[in-house]
Amino acid sequence: MTDVSAEITSEDASGATAPEPPTNPLLSSFAFWGFVVFILAYCGTLLGAFAVQLVGGEFPCPLCMLQRYAMILATIPAMWIVLEALRGTLTRGRYVRSIGMSIVAACAGSVFATRQILLHILPGDPGYGSAVLGLHLYTWALITFQIVIVFCGVMALLNRHAVPVAPSGSVARLAAKAVVWLFLGVIVANVVAIIVLEGVAWVLPDNPTQYNLLTQLGIG
Amino acid sequence: MVVLLAAAIAVYRDWSSTRIVALWVVGLVLSLLLFNYHVTSSLDLSF
Repeated sequence: MTDVSAEITSEDASGATAPEPPTNPLLSSFAFWGFVVFILAYCGTLLGAFAVQLVGGEFPCPLCMLQRYAMILATIPAMWIVLEALRGTLTRGRYVRSIGMSIVAACAGSVFATRQILLHILPGDPGYGSAVLGLHLYTWALITFQIVIVFCGVMALLNRHAVPVAPSGSVARLAAKAVVWLFLGVIVANVVAIIVLEGVAWVLPDNPTQYNLLTQLGIG
Repeated sequence: MVVLLAAAIAVYRDWSSTRIVALWVVGLVLSLLLFNYHVTSSLDLSF
């Protein structure tokens, strides 16, 4: 009994004091820019959805909006990683925490997108909205959520050697900050969009056909 | 969506981790509740 106790204490002590392995500079830089691209990719996806909505004249349904929420929920932790790396306050623990948050959000988004795919799974169903490159937006959304899960999983696997490190060059840092600002702008645009679409109501109608706020104000 | 914006601003303004995670979790839970509402609402179907 005494031996076992001593063994556990020894293991705990050795685990707590063991030095962390050095991060690989190349992998750390790759990880940083990987998360910047992650943010940029979802900005592009959300702006593309806006283009379909505003240029194509298609109104997003509640499930479409929920998928946008999930994309934003998955990207906020990525933004947190990039900003903490830029500030020099990113630790391995904080990094893994943010990765976990992104995976959880991507799982939720996968559920939302899968639900919408299943609503239109019957043969002959035209689907909701128009197709882009042969697939509907909710199918593309599911693909992006799977990519996020795989990317975050790989980054988590590499976390012992690749905690993101921000570049020292001012141009590169400015570029990363610009992507963060773009993402914040996309969120603000979505807030405005949902308010105009929903109007004074708690939820969106299942098949929105107008901008409710404009109608309620007598403009639309 | 406003909660998500608040979470993003909290991250940008470097608020404490607890508050950021709390805001993020609130946003996630509200999204799931909204999903639950739309999944369980009755559809106007006729055959």
